[in-house]
Amino acid sequence: MYWKYCIRRIIYGLAIFIMLIFIFSALFNATMENTLRSQIEEEIRAETMRLDTRMTPEEVTRYIAERREFKQRLYHLDKPIWSRIFWRAVNVLSLDFGKATIMRSSSGESDVWTIIAECFPRTVLLFTTAIFINIVLGLLLGLKKAQKAGGLMDKTTSIGTMIVYGMPSWWLGMLVIMFFAYTIKIFPSGGLHSVPPPTGFAYYMDLLYHMALPVLTLVLIGFWGSAFLIRNIMLGILQEDYIMAARTRGIPERKVLYGHAMRTAAPPIVTMALLSLLASVGGNIIFEGIFSWPGLGNLYWIAIEQNDIPVLMGNLFITTALYIGGLVILDLIYGFLDPRIKVGGRQ
Amino acid sequence: MKWIDFKAGIQDFWNEFKRVKFGLFGLILLFIFILAILINPYIVPFPEASSRWRDITYWENNPVSAPPVWVNWFSSTKRAPSLIIEEHAFSEEKMGKIKLSRAVFEYEYSYDLPPLDVIFHGYAIGSPVIMLSIERPDGHIIELVRRPISKSDGKEVRVSIGKDSRIESYNFGAKFENLEGNRIEREMVKPTSVLFSEAKEGILVYPSPLKGTYRLIAEIILPAENDVVEDIYFTFSGGVSGWLGTDSSKRDIWSGVVAGVKWALLIGLLTAFTAVSIGVTYGVVSAYLGGWKDSLMQRIFELFLSVPLLPVLIVMSAIFKPNIWIMILMMSCFFWVGPVKTVRSMGLQIKEETYIEAAQAFGASSSRIIFKHMIPLLIPYAFASMALYVPSAIVYESSISLLGLGDSTIVTWGQILHDALTGGAVLNGLWWWVIPPGLFIALMGMTFAFIGFAMDKILHPKLRTR
Amino acid sequence: MVDTDNVLKVENLKINFFTRKGIVYAVDDISFTLKKGETLGLVGESGCGKTTTVLGLMKMVPTPGEIIGGRILIDGKDIIPLSENEMRKKVRWEKISMVFQGAMNCLTPVYTIEKQMMETIQEHKNIDRLQAKKCIINYLNLVGLPKDIIRRYPHELSGGMKQRIVIATALFLEPKIVICDEPTTALDVVVQAQIINLIKRLKKKLGLSVIFITHDLATEAEVADRLLVMYAGKLVEIGTSEQIYGKGGPIHPYTEKLLKATPRLHEKVEELSFIPGTPPDLVDPPSGCRFHPRCSEAMERCKKNEPPLIEVEPEHRIACWRNHYE
Repeated sequence: MYWKYCIRRIIYGLAIFIMLIFIFSALFNATMENTLRSQIEEEIRAETMRLDTRMTPEEVTRYIAERREFKQRLYHLDKPIWSRIFWRAVNVLSLDFGKATIMRSSSGESDVWTIIAECFPRTVLLFTTAIFINIVLGLLLGLKKAQKAGGLMDKTTSIGTMIVYGMPSWWLGMLVIMFFAYTIKIFPSGGLHSVPPPTGFAYYMDLLYHMALPVLTLVLIGFWGSAFLIRNIMLGILQEDYIMAARTRGIPERKVLYGHAMRTAAPPIVTMALLSLLASVGGNIIFEGIFSWPGLGNLYWIAIEQNDIPVLMGNLFITTALYIGGLVILDLIYGFLDPRIKVGGRQ
Repeated sequence: MKWIDFKAGIQDFWNEFKRVKFGLFGLILLFIFILAILINPYIVPFPEASSRWRDITYWENNPVSAPPVWVNWFSSTKRAPSLIIEEHAFSEEKMGKIKLSRAVFEYEYSYDLPPLDVIFHGYAIGSPVIMLSIERPDGHIIELVRRPISKSDGKEVRVSIGKDSRIESYNFGAKFENLEGNRIEREMVKPTSVLFSEAKEGILVYPSPLKGTYRLIAEIILPAENDVVEDIYFTFSGGVSGWLGTDSSKRDIWSGVVAGVKWALLIGLLTAFTAVSIGVTYGVVSAYLGGWKDSLMQRIFELFLSVPLLPVLIVMSAIFKPNIWIMILMMSCFFWVGPVKTVRSMGLQIKEETYIEAAQAFGASSSRIIFKHMIPLLIPYAFASMALYVPSAIVYESSISLLGLGDSTIVTWGQILHDALTGGAVLNGLWWWVIPPGLFIALMGMTFAFIGFAMDKILHPKLRTR
Repeated sequence: MVDTDNVLKVENLKINFFTRKGIVYAVDDISFTLKKGETLGLVGESGCGKTTTVLGLMKMVPTPGEIIGGRILIDGKDIIPLSENEMRKKVRWEKISMVFQGAMNCLTPVYTIEKQMMETIQEHKNIDRLQAKKCIINYLNLVGLPKDIIRRYPHELSGGMKQRIVIATALFLEPKIVICDEPTTALDVVVQAQIINLIKRLKKKLGLSVIFITHDLATEAEVADRLLVMYAGKLVEIGTSEQIYGKGGPIHPYTEKLLKATPRLHEKVEELSFIPGTPPDLVDPPSGCRFHPRCSEAMERCKKNEPPLIEVEPEHRIACWRNHYE
């Protein structure tokens, strides 16, 4: 029952992803092809440099034309537009994003996939940590708020939620940096680790040290929202009949709250947590930029500055893949946690 | 739905809304913003900031990267603020055909750091000659500039003492400075720092301020009969300037930020309105149609939902370089997915109501049922959604602008921040450039958060307590 | 003095709700007794205070409600002064339990039946899992359910099955008093009949004392030995089934109207009678007898003074001035 649901959802996600890749390929085809053509010209020029200098100008010209035709055929540039789009999409799906025009990975490679693959774990590390803290704090506060709903703490913390609602995370980041890194110099102003990075255990401490400010900013902005949402979810559940029924049966309040109530709240809360995580995939471009955190978001920024189209495209595709993948995983987990989906309806 | 019912509905809603204190607070903030737009020309020194943001002539009298005037309240060294002095004592002499005008402007200098520049402005017809000198509180009178104006039928004249009186100022200072062994380059000495400092040793390198009343004297020779110089005034480019200081292109940041209010409101409200309208209609129609049409609409919806919004917007902006209206359109194209799920489930519930069945039995058309019966019930939810989408739209636009991909012909807070980042504001500690635009984004977000949450609270009485 | 005959004695119970709009006098001075082994029916319109009364018996009145007066004696001991802890450990479910409306959402959707029932037993009795499981299966059999139902989640079960589980859960600690709050209301007629028969059987077998709430007088007639009629937070009539359902004999005007409003299958019904007006606002109840605005036989006296419960026959008491004169 559940497995059927899983498989259906995964196939569905894949279908959407493929469709989107085709749409993107079509949309950005012109630009990508321009880049491709100029890259081909560069390659040809480099090859020409290595030619035997004894060749005559006519031979050289012929050689260039041959190479150009060869490469055009290789990259399917000679075919009609639908075919080109198709091949572009196929490339992407087979993770061949081509080469970056200007940017390089930390090991000097120009392969876009390598560049992206390097940045991905850093983004995940930062945002997963922050969201985890957000959820834990949100649970603690949200539960308290739901229990004494309408009370003073509930009202004041709700105001806090509203104050940070429209606040850009990167702006708060700027303030945090200005304060903690420049005014009171206790934290570094950005970057992944110190230069040169320490080794062994100190490496991890250094990493945490550099993560402190961005995580602090994310928590300051995020935990109000999660507390508010959790409070609403719990409040809704606490008014349900089965909660009163459990209390009537003599179940202690602790078990009612942390057992019956929270377990029922688990699907929507997990949804919320994962959605926050998804939103941060590529959604925090400026945030990472401000902290010079070399993740996927920052990659966008640098790619835009350097006008490196292949990296930009590759990043977009990966981000989309992660996003859709995340949505699929979200549905799968939700289905697992909610027995109404996991086990299904009446037999 | 009849107008009376609609009005009564709004009345009820307003009564409920009044009770939620923070909602009212948000509404007041919104009114302040709207007021700021309406009285914009009266509260900023540069009312044409919006249209002339990139026009350097508009800003040329301002200092570069000057902090706000109120910084003086907190620091021990007070800088001279930017100022315009129009009042002057005027006298005229005639020597044959030639007229000699003399205008004396009084300037109170009680600061520790002098203005960066003193600029003479006038409107000249013909070919007058303008001579500027300054009389200091210690009695010294220094001739600064002698500028003949080329013949014209009328043009704006601008003489900058900071630029044109280097030699004269240097020479004045050199009289008191101990130049033995120290070769002080003339180019390194700012005229104003000499003119406003005590005449003693150190005047060129470690000047101490000479406070008191200064007189700026503008003598104008008008050789021809019809020569005229009118509308004369002096501007001072201060060390501090304006309510929020200036940026590296001499633009008054307060004017820019206030100019950005209308764009923020426009972008936010237009995007939110368009997106929610589309979303609500889509959800209701999907719910009403049911069957395979509903499923199809849901599939399309899920396709849009699977798009990571900001990266796509950014890549599209990077490649297609849109103007603001296209950007609003792009944002609306993706924001609409937000309300659809909730609206659809609400729509499904309404569809089950018997009066819908009755309407169908009477032969009412689908569009009539949807627009007259179903949508009006969703209007409160639509408004709450709209309010909560405005901050998102504003933040998205400012993110795109901050990356330099926005519409540079208009002044939005994001644009100002972009200029701040590229103008080295963070590195040079120009906090007055960086903080205010973001602060206003946050404030407007807060405003709509208050309003939207208040509406949300009214619509979900289940979550109400007592 | 030990009252061996009455398992439950309620004296002058008052429950108020303190709301923003004012104080709601939900249960206003109610007294009654429940004898061992009898079924006491509690009838009245929606909102008359039936559910609030029985929630009060378990001290589970939801906020903003509070018990503000009276005594509730279970086995001769007043439970009102007891602390929440004592109520939870010793009274609730062990001395008095409740069968909720099956269609109500009263089973936690994310726990299996086994887990919920096991949790309840182990909270009260110190027995191991195996014995608890045996007990659960025993009672499930008693209500006619197969034992593999314990592995199911509530959403997998029909209304009738859920009702039976709720009954089994209410009984397995063998409490003295069982409250049934509209246990058949949302079920279809066939299942209704099954559940009522089940309750009757269990009552006999286990010697239960039952308070049975319903707004359907026909069902009440089937199960109740004695009846309590409530209106607007007040007790207006107490009597045996025969006295109230029987034709002729003294009766409260409200009860009379209630009976008339239930059409009988074998009678010719020309017109359905109903009770005009709506239930009163309990923040500002009518003066005197609370029923007088809707009573066709109201007198001057009814508007001014509240009639007390007066015994018109042995075991039969009515709060009505009309009956006072007879």
